[in-house]
Amino acid sequence: MKFSLVRQALILFALALLPGIGQAIYFRDKVSWESPVPASEMVTVAQARAWGGNAIWIDARPDVEFEREHVPGAVLLNEDRWNELLPQFLATWSPEKRVVVYCSSQSCNASREVARRLRDEAQLKNVFVLQGGWEEWLEKK
Amino acid sequence: MRTRILTFTLSIVICAAMHAELKWEQTTVELHPAATDKEAVGHFKYQNIGDKSVRFKSVHTSCGCTAAQTQKDEVPPGGKGEITATFKIGDRTGTQVKTVTVDTDDPVNATTVLTLKAVIPQELEINPTFVFWRQGDAATPKTIAIRAGKDFSVKQLKVTSSSRDFETKVEQTGNGQFKIDVQPHETSRNMAATLTIQPEGSPKTFYALARVTNAPAIQ
Repeated sequence: MKFSLVRQALILFALALLPGIGQAIYFRDKVSWESPVPASEMVTVAQARAWGGNAIWIDARPDVEFEREHVPGAVLLNEDRWNELLPQFLATWSPEKRVVVYCSSQSCNASREVARRLRDEAQLKNVFVLQGGWEEWLEKK
Repeated sequence: MRTRILTFTLSIVICAAMHAELKWEQTTVELHPAATDKEAVGHFKYQNIGDKSVRFKSVHTSCGCTAAQTQKDEVPPGGKGEITATFKIGDRTGTQVKTVTVDTDDPVNATTVLTLKAVIPQELEINPTFVFWRQGDAATPKTIAIRAGKDFSVKQLKVTSSSRDFETKVEQTGNGQFKIDVQPHETSRNMAATLTIQPEGSPKTFYALARVTNAPAIQ
């Protein structure tokens, strides 16, 4: 009886493990707990604030959200109007300054995309993505 | 007593068997908009193959650039419908993946994630899109490389600078490949220019930027 219970438990365990293994193999390049942005390119609200005037804040959210409220002094740069907004941002940019890009929340992707384009296409250095985005900034206000 | 137990068991079994289930025709849609399209619309069709109504609790998108719409709030058994996801292309390039998360009161599949993939054709690859000099740097030319995207043929480029402070020279370096040499006349003061890049016969205009920035701060 005892042996049978152990055997059944083992069979159930093995059955439960199978889809897990399958998923791990299938999504091996998309590990859910890994952020697509390297840690060195992320910045916390506290770190970004400590940079003071040496940081330029970029709001990557849609125009309406920026118009409602934004980080004081932030420059609007989203992909809806990239071609029009990029020159405005670059006019304020300076090589010594760090660039902090944010979007709505932890789950939004716009800040990562804007940061990627600034690094890859405009070849800017010191471009960071704000962890937690606007929601986090509001919370730590 | 035996009849009561049987009735009770049967009612439990029937209740368990009754279910609501939205079956999606596809949960991933790949779109290939034209280079001039302003938006891309994906249609996610579904049918309730269960025997209970399904109610949509919420539908939200991963990006402010995508709007999702349900045709109805509740889907009766056998009912069909679709969720449309409209992706605003704006000035985005390359492959864009956006998701729509659908929450229903279906206890089995309460949440479904719909994926909209839009492959936006890139007519020109511009590398880099920004060149700069610091004040006091030598006013030497910097090069912007241009390459026609896959499936595009570019025979000629017209480049104009918004400022006379910068001079541009275009040269073809290969089939669909060009280089633009950008040179400021001087670097003694701050100045900037937008370079308008117009491929011959294309309705689309591309941009690059040139700037002379402040001198580095003396530590």
